[in-house]
Amino acid sequence: MLLDLHTHSVASDDSRATVEQYIKWVNVLRRKGKSIDGFVLTEHRQFDHDKNYASLASDDGIIILKGAELDTDTGHFLVYGISEEITGELDFSDVNMSAQNLVDICDSYGGIAIPAHPGRAGIGFAEYLDGGVTGFETVKSVEQLNGSNRPGEGEKAESLIKAKGYLGTGGSDAHIVSAIGTCMTSFEKEIKNESDLVQELRRGRFTAVRLES
Amino acid sequence: MTTDEGIVYDRSLLGVETHIGTFELTREMILSFAKSTGETNPRYVGNNNGDGDIVAPPTICNVFVSGVSRPDIKLEFGEISFFAGQSIECKAEIRPGDVLSASTKLDNVYAKTGRSGKMVFAVWETKFRNQDDTTVALVTESFVRRNKNR
Repeated sequence: MLLDLHTHSVASDDSRATVEQYIKWVNVLRRKGKSIDGFVLTEHRQFDHDKNYASLASDDGIIILKGAELDTDTGHFLVYGISEEITGELDFSDVNMSAQNLVDICDSYGGIAIPAHPGRAGIGFAEYLDGGVTGFETVKSVEQLNGSNRPGEGEKAESLIKAKGYLGTGGSDAHIVSAIGTCMTSFEKEIKNESDLVQELRRGRFTAVRLES
Repeated sequence: MTTDEGIVYDRSLLGVETHIGTFELTREMILSFAKSTGETNPRYVGNNNGDGDIVAPPTICNVFVSGVSRPDIKLEFGEISFFAGQSIECKAEIRPGDVLSASTKLDNVYAKTGRSGKMVFAVWETKFRNQDDTTVALVTESFVRRNKNR
């Protein structure tokens, strides 16, 4: 099962793509013979418990799940399985939040936090580890493939993964419609909801893949 | 909206409307703007002779927000400022002879981190009302401040 784990819609301040447009583009990709089963909306610094995309996606059989991309003191983190407890404990809008605390809170309340685009300067996990940041023993995965990476950023992520033995996810980091699905995560098991997603990420039964050309 | 205790600016300006000008729309101004943007729709440029009933293209209020003087929010961050985008919400038609009154307010100041490090955004919302006090357009503009690359 192929899911794009990193996308942004108009709810993020730097995207102009609507969820409806993403659905249309996924269908375009499918008509071209590409495989993509769904995507996770990871809006910047926010999470809306009330948003429900089930009705939008059901007609097309596209899975649409919700997560978030948060700014932290150790770079950007993708968060999945966000519960009321997690949003109650953390201020998602805090651009200086402690990444270690974020990871710990997610571990405690059924979520999971994964460093996004770890090879990116300034907002990537690798730079902070290189700078001497320690901890994060429960982090087992990082975003290996990011569709918005610039030259060198993917290589730095690969080096980190090799050095630390991390598993790798994939996501497009789409901010425009046509970028969705360029990088994805292939799961062994079917994912129906956020709970399934967290479970499979924790079990490590996935690999990062690029959209086949 | 984001929170960041480190952002220092004049928070008393948040939500406070400031009048920034009154603008009378002449037919010539509308035609000139429409032609400058390559518009060919008779709704905006009239018939072949430039005659007939016209309305202003939806983005015409952009002309009036460009270069206006806004209150200084006294933001204590960053060394580089630049324009970060604009959206225009059209609420009602603007016609020749309309007199538009514009007021602006600081809508939001927030921070985020990107490839170039921390950035602070100031968002201004400018409301245009016509002579009947009908709101005809809302223009939202963002300006960003960040540090120089080290």
